[in-house]
This record gives sequence, C-alpha cells and structure tokens, in this order.
Amino acid sequence: MKKLYTILVAAVFLSSCAKNLDEYNVDQKKATVVPAATLFTAAQKSFADVMTSPSVNTNVFRFYVQQWTTTEYLDEPRYNLTARPLPQAFWSAIYKDVLSDLTESKRIINADPLINADVKANELAQIGVMEVLAWSTLVNTFGNIPYSEAMNITNVQPKYDDAATIYSDLLVRLDAALAGFKTTSTGFGTADLLYSSNIASWIKFGNSLKLRLGLILADKDAAKAKTVVEAAATKVFTSAADNARFPYTLSPPNNNPISTNANKGLTTRTDYIAASTLVDKMNALSDPRRAGFFTQVGGSYIGGYVGFTNSYANFSTMAARISAYDFEALLLDYPETEFALAEASARGFAVPGTAEQHYKNAVTASIVYWGGTTAQADVYLARPDVAYTTASTNYKESIGVQKWIALYNRGYESWTEWRRLDFPKLSPPSAATAPAGQTVPAGLSIPVRLIYPINEQTLNGAARAAAAAAIGGDLVTTKLFWDVN
Amino acid sequence: MKKQLLICFVFLLFAIQVNAQDKTVTGTVTSKSDGLPLPGVTIRVKGAKQGGLTNASGKFSLSVPQGATAVDISYIGYVMQSVSIPASNVINVSLAEDSQQLDAVVVTALGISRKKNELPFAAQELKAEDITRTRDINLVNSLGGKVAGLDIKRSNAMGGSTNVVIRGAKSISGNNQALFVIDGVPVSNASANTANQQTGRAGYDYGNAASDINPDDVASMTVLKGAAATALYGSRAANGVIIITTKKGAKNSTNITVNSGVTFGKIDKSTFPTYQKEYGQGYSTPATDGVGNPVPTAGFWYRDVFGQGKVMTPQFSSDASYGPKFDPSLLIYQWSSLDPYSPNYQKATPWVAAANGPETFYQTAVTSNQSISIDGGGEKGTFKIGYTRNDEKGVLPNSKITKNLFNFGGSYEVAKNLTVSASANYSKIDGLGRYGTGYSGLNPNQGFRQWWNVGADIAELEEAYNRYQKNVSWNWGDATGTKPIYADNPYFNRYQNVANDTRDHFFGNTAATYKVNDWFNVVGRVSYDGTSDLQEERIAIGSTALPSYARTNGTFAETNFDLLLNFDKNITKDISFKGLLGSNLRRSRLTNINAKTNGGLVVPGLYSLSNSVSPIEAPVELYERRAVDGYFASTTFGYKDLVFLDATIRRDQSTTLPTDKNTFWYPSVAGSFVFSNVLKDLKWLSYGKVRLNYAEVGNDAPPLSVFDTYTKPTAFGSIPMFSISDTKNNNLLKPERTKSIEAGLETAFMNSRFGFDVTLYKTNTIDQITAVPVTTATGYLKLYVNAGEVQNKGVEVSAFLIPVKTRDFSWTMNLNWSRNKSKVLSLYSGVSNVELNALSLSGGVTYNAAVGEPYGVIRGTNFVYNNGQKVVNASGYYAATPSSAEIIGDPNADWMGGIGNTFKYKSVALNFLVDIRKGGDLWSLDQWYGQGTGLYPNTAGTNDLGNPVRNSLATGGGIVLPGVLADGTPNTKRIDVSSSGSSAYGYPNNPPRASTIYDAGYVKLREVSLTYTLPQKFVSKLRAFKGIDVSLLGRNLWIIHKNVPFADPEDGLGSGNVQGYQSGSYPAVRTVGFNVKLRL
Repeated sequence: MKKLYTILVAAVFLSSCAKNLDEYNVDQKKATVVPAATLFTAAQKSFADVMTSPSVNTNVFRFYVQQWTTTEYLDEPRYNLTARPLPQAFWSAIYKDVLSDLTESKRIINADPLINADVKANELAQIGVMEVLAWSTLVNTFGNIPYSEAMNITNVQPKYDDAATIYSDLLVRLDAALAGFKTTSTGFGTADLLYSSNIASWIKFGNSLKLRLGLILADKDAAKAKTVVEAAATKVFTSAADNARFPYTLSPPNNNPISTNANKGLTTRTDYIAASTLVDKMNALSDPRRAGFFTQVGGSYIGGYVGFTNSYANFSTMAARISAYDFEALLLDYPETEFALAEASARGFAVPGTAEQHYKNAVTASIVYWGGTTAQADVYLARPDVAYTTASTNYKESIGVQKWIALYNRGYESWTEWRRLDFPKLSPPSAATAPAGQTVPAGLSIPVRLIYPINEQTLNGAARAAAAAAIGGDLVTTKLFWDVN
Repeated sequence: MKKQLLICFVFLLFAIQVNAQDKTVTGTVTSKSDGLPLPGVTIRVKGAKQGGLTNASGKFSLSVPQGATAVDISYIGYVMQSVSIPASNVINVSLAEDSQQLDAVVVTALGISRKKNELPFAAQELKAEDITRTRDINLVNSLGGKVAGLDIKRSNAMGGSTNVVIRGAKSISGNNQALFVIDGVPVSNASANTANQQTGRAGYDYGNAASDINPDDVASMTVLKGAAATALYGSRAANGVIIITTKKGAKNSTNITVNSGVTFGKIDKSTFPTYQKEYGQGYSTPATDGVGNPVPTAGFWYRDVFGQGKVMTPQFSSDASYGPKFDPSLLIYQWSSLDPYSPNYQKATPWVAAANGPETFYQTAVTSNQSISIDGGGEKGTFKIGYTRNDEKGVLPNSKITKNLFNFGGSYEVAKNLTVSASANYSKIDGLGRYGTGYSGLNPNQGFRQWWNVGADIAELEEAYNRYQKNVSWNWGDATGTKPIYADNPYFNRYQNVANDTRDHFFGNTAATYKVNDWFNVVGRVSYDGTSDLQEERIAIGSTALPSYARTNGTFAETNFDLLLNFDKNITKDISFKGLLGSNLRRSRLTNINAKTNGGLVVPGLYSLSNSVSPIEAPVELYERRAVDGYFASTTFGYKDLVFLDATIRRDQSTTLPTDKNTFWYPSVAGSFVFSNVLKDLKWLSYGKVRLNYAEVGNDAPPLSVFDTYTKPTAFGSIPMFSISDTKNNNLLKPERTKSIEAGLETAFMNSRFGFDVTLYKTNTIDQITAVPVTTATGYLKLYVNAGEVQNKGVEVSAFLIPVKTRDFSWTMNLNWSRNKSKVLSLYSGVSNVELNALSLSGGVTYNAAVGEPYGVIRGTNFVYNNGQKVVNASGYYAATPSSAEIIGDPNADWMGGIGNTFKYKSVALNFLVDIRKGGDLWSLDQWYGQGTGLYPNTAGTNDLGNPVRNSLATGGGIVLPGVLADGTPNTKRIDVSSSGSSAYGYPNNPPRASTIYDAGYVKLREVSLTYTLPQKFVSKLRAFKGIDVSLLGRNLWIIHKNVPFADPEDGLGSGNVQGYQSGSYPAVRTVGFNVKLRL
C-alpha cells in the first residue's frame, strides 16, 4: 500500500508544475525570428500570384476586358461580385499577403544595426517600389482605401483615405525609393525573384512604374501627370530584357497559377476560352499574335460568346505556352512602357521620341514577345487599321485597342487601361449579344471598380460607409477619381 | 501499464475466497415487476457492517453474527426493504421498483455519487437500457431526443461526427462541444476534422473519439448541464459534461452476457432528390453549334465523332439537365457510345430519362454487433472483461468500418482500508471508404444533388466501371470520350478514390482509495487517454481531380493525476457535512504530421509519398502541449434531508495563458430545498424540491495563441520564404469566464405517477478568448483578443407520466422539452460580426456571431420586400438586396422535444421515441445549384398557361414570378426559363440567397423497439441461461414532418460551429434489425 502511494505521489511530482512550463506556449514547429529577405520573396510571389491567377475566386479581370470568357459558369463574366467573395480575396491578397510581408521585412531591416548601409538602402528601396506597386493596385481597384492607418494591428478600424491623396503620397514614396537606390551595391540578392537585386534594373522598373502611375493621373491632373511622366520617361525600360517578370517554376506550388486552373496536368476543368470580342478583332486585323495567344479550332481562331454558356470544344482557348507550369508572369513590361511613352507624346508631354515610333516599338515588341517576327510586325504595322496615323484619329483609340491586345493575359492592367482610355469599346452581355437559345437579364454593366469586400461592412463598418459615401457609392459603376470620362 | 493490468486481473481471478462465520442466511431477491432475479443487490446486516451481494441468479448467502435479527436489502432503482431474519434463515424477497428513482444515486462530477434528491443542480440520467435499446453503433447518437437541453446533430455519413451542444453554443469561435468523461477519464468530443471539411469543402468526417465506446458496457450516463454541476472539472467543462459510467462487476457473482445483433439500413427516399424526368443533359438548347452551324435537333452537339459523318451527341461537358426534351424516338450517341468496351459503342440510343436514378447508387447498410462481457467478483474483488466487434457496411459502395473494442476493469481490497482499481479500454477503429463530404467530387451527392444529368443511368455506369475499372463517365470533357471533365463515374470514385483510416484509442485509469476512517478517505487516480490516428486519402490517376496521396499521422495523449480527500461526517444528528479537497494535474500533447504528393502521381495505383510528380512540399507539423494544474475544494451541508447547500471553489493555472495571467479562481454556490418533506400532509404530492445555483467557470486559451510565429511557404527553388501569420497572437490574454445562474423545480405527484422537472438558466460567457476577424487592411486576418459576450437563456422541462400501471401492463411516458435563446451581446471593439466559417463557404453565405443576434445566424442577400410582397426587378426576376450581409436565417431551433413511450405487457416491452425539433433554418447549396442545373421538379412541368415551362416564350412557355414591381404594382412580366442561364431558380441569375433557406424543423420517429424477455420458467429449463432477451428494433423509421425538400433537415457538415448548411447532404438511413441478448 505504501509502495503504491509512493508511486502515485511520485508520478504527480515527476511532472513539473504548470507554473514552470513556460515553453509549452512556444511553438516548437514554427519560426519566431526570420530573415527579412524571406518575407520580401514571399511578398513578390504573392503579388505575382494574385495578378496572374485566372481563378474566378481571385482575379476576373480577363473577363471584364473580354480577352477570355467561361464555358459553363457565368457569374464572373456577368460581373457578379457576391457569388464568391472575390473583392475580399483580391483585397486580402494584397494587404495581407503582400503589404504585410513587405512591412515586416522593412521592420526587421530597420531594426538591424549591423547591415551595410548601402545594402540596407537598396533593400528598403526595393521594398519601397514593391509597396507602391501594391498600394497603387489597391487604389486603382477600389478607390478610397485604408492607407495612413492601415498595417497597424493596434487599430482594427482604420479610416479610409482619399484615393487622390494616397496617389500623391505614393508618388512621393516612389521618388524616395528611387532616390534611395545605390547602384554600386546590392540589395536582397537572389531573394529578389524579379531582378536578382540588379539595382540598375530596379531603377528602370521604378521609373516605368512611375510612368504608368503618371499617365493614370493624366485625365484628372494633366499638369502633375506631365511632371511625373517627364521625370520618368528617360529612365524606363528600353527592351524586353528589362521586363519585370516573375519566373514561375515547374514544381507546384511555385508554378504559374494559370496552369493550376487550366493545365491538363493539374486539372480536368475547361472553364476558360477566348472571348469573341478579342478574337474577332484580331482576326479582322490578321494579328500575328493569334498563334501565341490562342489554340485553333478547325484551323480557325474562334472566340466564345461573352457571358453565355459555350461549349469548350467549339472555341479557341489559351495557347499551350500560357498554361505551361513555368510560364513567366509579367508585372510590368517593355511594350506597356512604349505605349505609355506613345501616349505621353500624343498628350504633348516632353518625352523623347514620337508617338508613332513608340507605338511601333510597343507593337513590335509585343509581337516578338508572343512568338512573332519583326517582319510580321512591319507587315502588321503597315495595315491602315493598325498604323498609328491611320488606325484612328483619336490616340486613345489607336493606343487603347493595341494596348488591349498587347496586354493579353494581363487582365488587371488591361482593365485599368480600358477604364482610363475608354477604348476599345466593350459591351456587357445583353440580349443583343446573346447566341440563339440563350438569354441574359438586362442591365448588366462592366465594372469600373470593385465593390469593397463584404466583410468590411461588419469589421470596419463606419469607415467603409464613410468611404462609400465619399466616392459616390460603393458600386461597380462608381468611377474612380482619375476615371473622368 | 497493460502488463500491470494483466497481473492485476489474474490475481483477482484467483483471489476470490469466502470466509466462514457464525450463521448463514440465504435467499433470493427478485424484481416485483417482472419476477426476474436481481443480481448485485446489497444485503447488509442491520446495524452492522457485514454485507454481501446477490449473484446473477439473485441468490445470496450471507454469514451473519448469531445475534443479528434483520437485514437491509437495497438496490439502485428499487425501494429498500428491511426484513427480519426468520428461523429458517431463508429470505425470499421481491423488491419494488422505485419508479422515478427520486432517491436514486446519480454519478456527478469526479465520479462522486450523490442522491438525486440532494442535488442542487440539473442533472439528467440515462440508464443503460435507454441507450442500447435500438443499438446505435454510435453511443453519442443514442442521446438524441432523450435529454432536455441537449442538442444532438448526427451526421448521416457512416462513422461521422455528432455535434453535441448543451444549452447552446457559448464560445464565439472555440469549441462548443460537451466534454465526455468515461469512468473518470476525460475524452474530448472536439472534432479533429480539417477546416476544409468543417466548411463544406473536400474532406472526410472521421468521427469523434467519444464514440469509441461499447454501448453495451455503459451502466449509466449523466448529463450535467450547468456550470454549477461541472465546476469541479475545471475550465474545459464550461460546455457541460456527459459522464459515462461503465458496468462494474459485483462481488460474489459471475455473469456472462453475450449480445448478438444485426441491423439493416436503407436510405429514406424522402431525404433524397426527386428529379424532373422531362429534360436531359445540357445547360441550354442552342439551335446551332458554337460556330453557327445549325443542329438537326436543338440542344445537341452535331459533329463527326466516329469519322462516319456528323452525328448528334448530348452536350457531354454539361453537368446539368437543362438540355433537350426527352423523346424515346430520338436516337442520340450518348456517353456510352464513346466507350469502346460498351455494347453501345458507336451506337445511338433513345433519348430518355434514366431508368435507374441516383437513389439506386445506395446499397443496404449492414451492421453486425457481437459482444461478450464477463463480470463478477469474489469477497474482496470485482472484475469485468469485455470484447465487442462491430462491422458496419455503409450505404455507399465500398464503405465499411470495423471496430474492435476491448475493455477490462477490476477492483480489489488490498487491505482492510485500501481498495485499488483499474480500468483499461482499448479500441481499434478501421475505416475504409469513408464518405467524402462537402462540395467535392469525392462526395457523390455533389453530383446527385447539384450537378447531374438525369439521363445518366446508375446501373449503366456501374457496368461501365466494372468492365475495365476505368473512369467512364456521363460527363466527357469533349466528344472524344477520353476524360471526364467535372463528374467522375461514381463507382470509379468509390472504388478508386478510397480513403482509409485507423484509430488506436486507449483510455483507462488506476486508482487507489484509502479509507482513513469511516468519515474520511483519500483517492488517488492516474488516468490516461491516448489516440493514435492514421488517415490516408487517395485520388487515382484518371480522376477529374488532381491525382494525389495524402497521409496524416496524429497522436493525442492526455494524462490526469487526481488526488481527492473526501470527508463525510454528520456534524449533528440533523446536519450532514461532505467535503472534498482535491487537485488535478493535467498534461496533454497533440502531435500531427500531414504530407501529400505534389503535382500528381507518376505510377498508377501506387499510393506513396515518393510517387509524387514534383518533389513533395514539407509536411505540415503540429505540436501542441497544455498543462493545467487545478486545486479545488467543495463542501455540502445538509439539514434533515430538507435543505442542502453546496459550495465549490477552484483555482487553475494553465500554460496556455501568458505567464503573469495564467492563474484564475472561480466559485460556485448552490442550494436545494426538499419542500415535500415539510408538506407530508399533502398526499398527492410525492416529492417536491426547489434548487438554485450560481457558478462561474474560467477558461484558458487555445495552445500557442500567445506568441507570434511566421508561416513558411514552400521555398521557391532554393530561395526560402516566410510570411506573416494570418492570426496575430496576443501576449496580453487573460482567462475567459462563464457565469451561469440556474433555478429548478422538481416534483412528483400521485404516488409518483406523474412528475416534472423544470429548469431555468442563464449563462453569460464573457472576455472570450477568440481570434476575431479584423479588416485585412491591418495586415492580419485575425487577432486573438479577450472580447465578446454570448448569452444563453433557456428553459428545460422533463416530465414523466405513468398513465397505466397494473401488475401485467404498464405505460410510461418520458417527455422532455427545451428552449434555448442565444444572443451575442458584444464582440471586439467596433467589430459587429465574426464569421464562424474559418474558410469561405460555397454559395456566398456566411455563418456569424453578430452583435444583438442569436449565435450562428446566416447572412446572404435577401429578397427585397414592398409591403410584405417580394419585389421583382425589371427583368422579371426576384430582386436581391445589394448587400450580402443581410440576416436570412437562424439555425437555432425554437425548441426541441422528445416523447418516449414504454409499454410493457408481461415480458414484452414496446418502446418508441419521437424526436421533435421546431424551427431553426438551414441554407441549402444543394438546392441553390441543383435548381439552377434543372434537376428538381420545380424547374420543369407546366406553367399557368398549361404549357411546358421550358418552352420558349413564343411557344407559351415561361413563368411569371409572384410578386410586385418596385412601385408596388403586381408583376406581370413573363420570363423565359428554357435554359440554366435564364432560370428563375437557383444560382444562375443570382437571386436572393434567401431563396434556398429552409425551415430545418422536423418530427421524427427516432427509435422503436420491441423486446421480448423469454419467461423465466422457460429459460430455467435451458440450464446454461439466466435470461434471454430478443428484440426487434428500428431507428429513424419515419420522418413524420419536415420542410426541407429532398433532404434530411438534421444533416450538416458534422460537428463544429457552422450548423445549418447543406452541401452534398447525405440521405437519412432507416435502420431495422434484431438483437439477441443472452445472460449466462
């Protein structure tokens, strides 16, 4: 009996008191301290993922600009934003997966007194450019957003700032980042998946971004746009080698998200086909990029009805290269920059070169990128319906249409340019566009912004309501501050 | 430990001996009601300590001092009798049942037995027979409808988890499941299923560990509902406790019970879809093919499929039934015509609805249950040993669960004052082909209820699969028939995409009781509960989903060290005192590792991690520990069996809280007054008691919620990545607290022919430790905080009525009724809503804790109303609110009730239980998608003009939705509903989500059993037997009333905080069977 007692008592005391078991609360399987560079890499990947994904849960902009449409499920090509929490997914991906990692990376770098000052400056500047890229994407999607009070967990009801004010601040931040680069040193090294911390490339990337942002302001504040664009114009991308490309790999989960949704090796789904709007236009132009863009059906390129059910086998879909596991994602590219310079020139901004030359450079570079030749580009550019001087009397139309084609597979940027330039003319699905035997409710309109995430109503209700009132209603038809036409 | 138990067991078997004494009294004790012998009855010499027990034949033989004059004969549930010892020294007594057992002993917290009439809190007890009557293989399911205030939601999936909530959900985002305590060993009912499974995505419901117990081994179950009853268990009992006491051997007896039963189950067709049978595969019926060429019959593909000219095929890739109208004279090259092994290869077949619909996919479930238990004992020790084997074959093809349950228990008086005891339970559960749940191709109901072609014949699909085990499906991606696009052949799915799992579960305890003197004893106990799980999930090459193999290995182990000092002394003749001082040290550890292949499988049929196309990602590891030290004290004072006062206090220290805030105290006080004891003149009043209590229970945080960590995505080649965690942890957390107040009235009248027990309660859970969602503009998805208050108020009534009671015939009714109203009083500052679904749910609805609303409300877009009339928009469809944050449903029942009836005529007993749930809503993804794909009858048929609704408007089809325009004038707009895209029903035109909200109330005939106990005179001729019971039983036989179309209102996602959401719901299974119980 005493023995038993002894055993029992011993058993009780062998285990320490809970008081002395502090380490129980420390996760044995997760890191509590990490290198800053790892967060920067993660932010780059998250940004590339959300901008590239064709998932109807994340990124539907290819449907909005009618590059692609769906076969069976029509919620997204019909602009439904409540069937799936798409605005929430897009918003969260950038705030939570991109900006939070960048913010944390910055915090760790700033807290480390031992880094070489130049390296530190470059790392902070790299983060700065990525941050401006991410913030500008949010502003250009939603309008007013939490900004000055965001990224602070001690304030769970951040106010929404005015979009134009944020825009100004972003341009200031971008200039500060550009000024911070030290070309004689390195930054994050190979942890930078865009340029392996080639600082000269980062300066071009930052300036190309600045050019993009400047033009977005052009219809709203031409004077400011002129200053910004002119300051950047000479330091931007000069060839496709400068492209901000994200190098997806063959091995999931670092494969291109398009392949996750459309490659036969990863899914049997056949949701996406080319939209007739784009295909018809390119057929009319005998566009040499079609082979790079689409598959053929019976020797032809055939686009599906936008916003209606389509039988997969009857229509062209994305070319095999696009759904390859390791197809690179473009965040900003040379043709885009050349189109911007063409437009800047057309607007009368003092940039080197003529609008026509930049236009030609852009179209040629795009054709070459998509597998064509410069000879094909020359033939194409010689067509009166393509040539800059004859395609349209309105530079917004000639540039708008060609930029729309060149921004194929980059739905988000294409959507922004469409909103800004108002070309090409796109029509929502309606009775007039319906194929025989199909109908669609009347009154659809192509969104010009995303509505705020539904959960903002309950998590940050007062601030969201104030923002909704300030921008003129939380609607897909509310134009952003720079979308004046 | 196992070895130790074995030695103990062997020792017990041989140590039984009898000591001779002065004179011997013998006799038999039988039950007055049925004349059967009563084993285990205590015979005690009046005024002395000597005593013994009856054996299995009800016989006893007791040595008593020569001077003894009388014995007391007592037995739980029967009225005690004192009998004088006659000169013959033979006593034959029949004991009367104490009908409602008001003096019965109830097992309460920490295994302390107390008389029911002393209890100052609500506790409802179920006897073994109440639980095993209809032999549900899942013990937990047997509680449904039997206990007031206990909300049981079972899963229709084989072996699925059961949601067990007592008095409403209290925790905003934490665990709301009741705690199970089996012979002193706490066993959690928390779901181990993945977040994906719990939010209706792909997954399997692996059930919960509380069901790993043999129902035949259970002696009684006590449901302790309120905080006062459970305070001694500490923090984790805040959700109530279900105490399971297993059978014990009796001294000087040997009993062998053999039980054998088999049940057969078939789906209840009222809980399965009825399909429209007029239109076949397709989303629409275009008159031309995609490229503008006309098709001979609209709605078919017209292509050169076989190189023999153009032929018509269905729109294979459409997983919907909005296609061409069936017409037997129309010959079409259907899905089997593309299968080279099919007799239909390259042949056209009539365009008709399937002869064998999806209901024929379900088979007859067969469950066999075999158990043997032996119990008994000698003078100094008791033992029991049991083995049970269950074989359950589910209603889906290729599904089975095998359970082997072993249990052992024993006690022995080592010395005069020292008793040691041990119990050990080992179970091995092997599952094969568990049902896929949620929105996943692994769940056949995703097809059957949401995306189906009503022309697909199940028998043909079975033949097509069986020929070469290939994935030959009705849903080809194109007209080449090489691969299905969305829907696998359901047989391929069941036989190739198979999950299997094994759970080894051991729990038991060793304890020693040392009786210092007759008013003070010390109990020491070590208990252990450990599970080890392996789950393997497969997707075969050839499936529509990405081929994969995933395995999860997990272990959970919890050890509790208890030391209890019990005092039991009458202070004066009238004032009794019971005291308890105790400590409980609890240590638990959870480990889990999950790994899966990446990017597909290389070699068909090989399910190993190395068979991955791309290198596998790092497995996900979990390691969580918790240590809680508790110290507690409790006192009970009684005055003349009239007034009882309880008080408890407990101090816990938990490692899951920040070190400086990890200690917390909480008290309870309770009192009861047995007023019938002062109203003895009132003959009609048999019993009356009022009780009142107040209690608080503190609770700690989930493990690892204090310090921040980073998540690690898979490295980008050789470039590592880390990312901020989704949830911001908090090093300022403090304990959360539940405060509850409860009042009750217990009565019995007319010689206990009728009585009721009413309880009113109010529970407030404050300072909840919750990961509240925050705007992601903060950089996080969630933040751990102490915030929020949830209140539950309710009434519970249980009543009994014995309308008829004669010697041969009796009718007893047991009724229970309860109503719980929950309300979320506050959340985190400025946050008015917390989504309970960890991941977004399909269909765009959310389940929420919203300030001012009941817990769990459903949000989505609602109808727009004008003076109570639904508003129709300009296009003729119902307008939806712009916001999807409208509250469109409340899954909480208005009330729940159960009516149990027992009729006994001589040795025949008929029982039936009606289980009622009034109100409570569910949202059906099945209807949302299934109506949109044209599966259900409301999408076809004729319209108000007498024409087929799916005709074009020009040919008199279409419908006018009842409602008004925005200006209040009646809607007259006729809409074309000929295709999915124009359907007025389901998802396509984005109608209000409220259109597929249903009232989930039901009235079910839950249990029926007819038991025949073979007459003793017959049994006694069969010398080997002491008793034989034969029963016929049925479960879920009849849903008397429900409102949800084509589904079981009870079915959901299994256990968890999202209740009232149906996606790929499984039909209810009607079960009938028989059982034979032999007592030897």
